[in-house]
Amino acid sequence: MPRAPSACPGFSRKNRRKLGRAYARCYVWEEQLGPARSPTRTILQPARIVFLGDHRRETHSLRMTATNGQTTLSIRDLHVSVEDTQILRGVTLDVPAGEVHALMGPNGSGKSTLANTLMGHPAYEVTAGQVHFKGQDVLELETDERARLGLFLAFQYPAEIPGVRVASFLRLALNARREAEISVMEFRRLLMEKMQMLRMDPKFASRYLNEGFSGGEKKRNEILQLAVLEPELAILDETDSGLDIDALRIVADGVNRLRGSDLGVLVITHYQRLLNYIEPDRVHVLIDGRVVESGGKEVAERLEAEGYERYGAAAASEDA
Amino acid sequence: MTSTTPDLIADLSASRGEPGWLRERRAAAWHVYETTPAPTWSDEEWRRTDTSWVDWAGAAPATNGAEPAKLALPMEVSSASVLLRQRGSMVEVLYTSPEAHDAGVTVVSLAAAANTDGATVADCLGTELAPPSAGKLQAMNAALWSGGAFVRVPDGAELTAPIVIVIDAADQPVFPRTLVSTGAGSSADVLEWWRSNQAATPGFANGCVELFVGAGSKLSYTHVQAWDSHAGSFLSQYASVARDAELATTNVTLGGRFHKGAIAATLTGPGANVRLNGVAYLDGEQFADHHTLQDHRTTDAASDLLYVNVLDGTARSVYAGTIMVQPHAQRSNAYQQNRNLMLQRGPRADSIPRLEIMADDVRCTHGSTTSTIDPMHLYYLGSRGLGLEQARSLIVDGTFEPVLDRIPDATVRSAVRTAVRAKLHGTAAA
Repeated sequence: MPRAPSACPGFSRKNRRKLGRAYARCYVWEEQLGPARSPTRTILQPARIVFLGDHRRETHSLRMTATNGQTTLSIRDLHVSVEDTQILRGVTLDVPAGEVHALMGPNGSGKSTLANTLMGHPAYEVTAGQVHFKGQDVLELETDERARLGLFLAFQYPAEIPGVRVASFLRLALNARREAEISVMEFRRLLMEKMQMLRMDPKFASRYLNEGFSGGEKKRNEILQLAVLEPELAILDETDSGLDIDALRIVADGVNRLRGSDLGVLVITHYQRLLNYIEPDRVHVLIDGRVVESGGKEVAERLEAEGYERYGAAAASEDA
Repeated sequence: MTSTTPDLIADLSASRGEPGWLRERRAAAWHVYETTPAPTWSDEEWRRTDTSWVDWAGAAPATNGAEPAKLALPMEVSSASVLLRQRGSMVEVLYTSPEAHDAGVTVVSLAAAANTDGATVADCLGTELAPPSAGKLQAMNAALWSGGAFVRVPDGAELTAPIVIVIDAADQPVFPRTLVSTGAGSSADVLEWWRSNQAATPGFANGCVELFVGAGSKLSYTHVQAWDSHAGSFLSQYASVARDAELATTNVTLGGRFHKGAIAATLTGPGANVRLNGVAYLDGEQFADHHTLQDHRTTDAASDLLYVNVLDGTARSVYAGTIMVQPHAQRSNAYQQNRNLMLQRGPRADSIPRLEIMADDVRCTHGSTTSTIDPMHLYYLGSRGLGLEQARSLIVDGTFEPVLDRIPDATVRSAVRTAVRAKLHGTAAA
C-alpha cells in the first residue's frame, strides 16, 4: 500500500503543489520500495526531487534537512584479492548521501581496487565484508545492475570502444536508467547542455567512444557521462591524473555543479591538488588496504605537507 | 548433359536475341571452362577453401520460367536514381528518376545492352578485367550469365541518388553479371543486392562484376550478398581505376552457406584513389573467403582496404589480401587492414595479408587483428547500466560501423546498416 508523499519530511501542502512531478515520483518510489524498506525512504524521495531544475532554490533547504547524515554507501570490513594477492584488508567506510569524500593513498594502497570492486570488476574477488548502497547488498548485483541502482565509476583508464559513438552509447545508457525512453530530440538537448557545461566541442558527440581521445578528453568524457546519467553516488578514480591545470579546473567545476544532496562523491586521488578544486566533506587515508585515518579536509592538507611517510610502515609499499 | 551444353548456350543466346559476337564469346568461354582444371587444395588461392561440393560437370545455363524469390525491395523505389531488378533471368527497370533520365544515364539489362550499346559492351565485357582465362569460375560465368546489368554514366553526369540493382534468384543456379562504366568527371553510387530465400534457393551462384572507373570520375559500388543459408556463392569483382578517379567498393557478406569473393582493383592512372571495404557477419556453419588485390600499375596512386569479419557459431572466414606495386609505380600509397571479431570460441578466422612491392619509393602498410570481445569493454559498458546482451550487440555494431561509415551515399549506408542489424538481431528475412 503506497503511502501518501505528504509523509516526506518538509513536504508542506504548498511545496507539494509546486512540485507536482516530484510528488508523483515520490509516489512511485514508495510503491516500489514498500514500507519494509522505509529507512531508505527519506534518502530516495529528495533525491528524485532535485531533478526538477525549476524548483531548485525552493527545495534546497528541504533536501538538505532530509538527506544529511543518511548513509548511501556503506562499506564494512571489505577484503578483496586479485589472483590470490590480498589487496584490501578490511576497509570500512561510509559515504552519506550528498557528501563528497576523498580517498587518498600512495600507489599500490588499493584505491583503484576499491573503486573497481564497488563497480563489480570481474577480476576482483571479495573474500570478506559487505557493501550496501541505498540499503541493497551491492555484492549480489551485476555491474549493470549496480549502475542502474545509481552507482557510477569515472574510470582512471576508460575503455576505447571503436565504432560506438559517444551520443548513441550515452542515450542507451541513459535509457537503461530510466523507466520511459528519452526522445532523440530531448536527449540531444540534454547532451548539448552538459557538453557546454564541460566546454566540449559538439563534434565530440559523434566521435567513437574514447578512441583516439587525449587523456584529458577521456576524463572529460567520463564527467560528461556522470552529468548525463545523474547517478546517486559517483566514484572518481584518479580523474585528476593526466589532466593539465585548465582541464582539471573544468572537470572540477563540472563535479562541483553536480554535487549536492542528490549526488554523493567518492574522490580517489593521490595528490591533494584536486581537493583544492573539489572541497571534500571528509578525507580518508588508505594505506596497505586499510583506512588508517579519517577526518576533515585538514587531513589532506597535512598529507600534502608531510606525505604518507608519517603512516610509518605504509611508506614501504609506496614504490609501485 | 555436358555434351549438349554448348548447344543449349547457343540456343538460349539466339532465343534471347543476343548478337553473334556475344554468342561466339559464350562458346569460346565455355571451351575455356571445359579445358580449365577445377581449383584444388594445392592452389595457393584455394588452400583454405573447400570447393569439393561444386558440381563442375553439371554446370548449365539458367532457363526461363523458374519461380523467383518474392522479397520486398531494400528501399523506397523513389530514393533510387534507377532501380533495376532481375528475377531469375528476367530483367526489368522498375524506376528511373527524372534526374537520371536528364543526365542520360543508361541502366539496362546487359543482354539488351549487347545490342543497343554493342560497341561499349563488346569492348569491356570479359576483355580487360575478367576474361574467361582468369579462371574456371570467370569462364563459367562468361558462358552462362543471363539477364545482367549494364550501367553507363556519361561524362560529367553527377547522380545524387544511388543506382540500385537487385538480383532475386529463382529456384536454379544463378549467374549474375554486371558491367559499370563511368565517364570522365562523372559521379555515381551503385548498390547491387543478391537475394534469395529458402523457397527459391539458387543453390549455386557465380557472379561477375566489372567496374570501369573513368578519368576523374567517382564511383561508389556496394555489393550485398544476402542469399539464403543453403546457397554456395562465388563473386569475381574487378575494377580498373583511371587517372584521378575515385572508387570505393564495399562488399557486405551476410548470406549463403559458402561464399568466395575475388576482389581486385587495378590503379591505372596517376591520382587514382581506391577504397576497398568489406564486412562479413557469419554465424552457424557459414564460410566466407575474400581474396583481395590492390594492383598499383601507375605512379602516385593510393589504395586503402578495410575488411572486417564478425564470426559467431562455428563460422569460418578467410581473408587473404595482396598489395602489389609494379616496378614503375613509384610514390604508391597503399594500406590494408583486416579485423576479425569472434563472438565465441567456435569460429576460426584466417588472415593472410601480403605485400609484393617492386618499386622503391612507396608507402605500404598492412595490419591484421583477430580478437574476441574484450571483457573490459563489457565491464565499461556494464558500468553505465548496459546489460550483457545490450553491450555485446553495441560492440558488434561498433565493429561494423567504421566500414559502413565509409559508404558515401546515405541511402545505401542506411539500407546496408539495416540489413546487417537485421541479421545481428535475428530478424533477417532470409
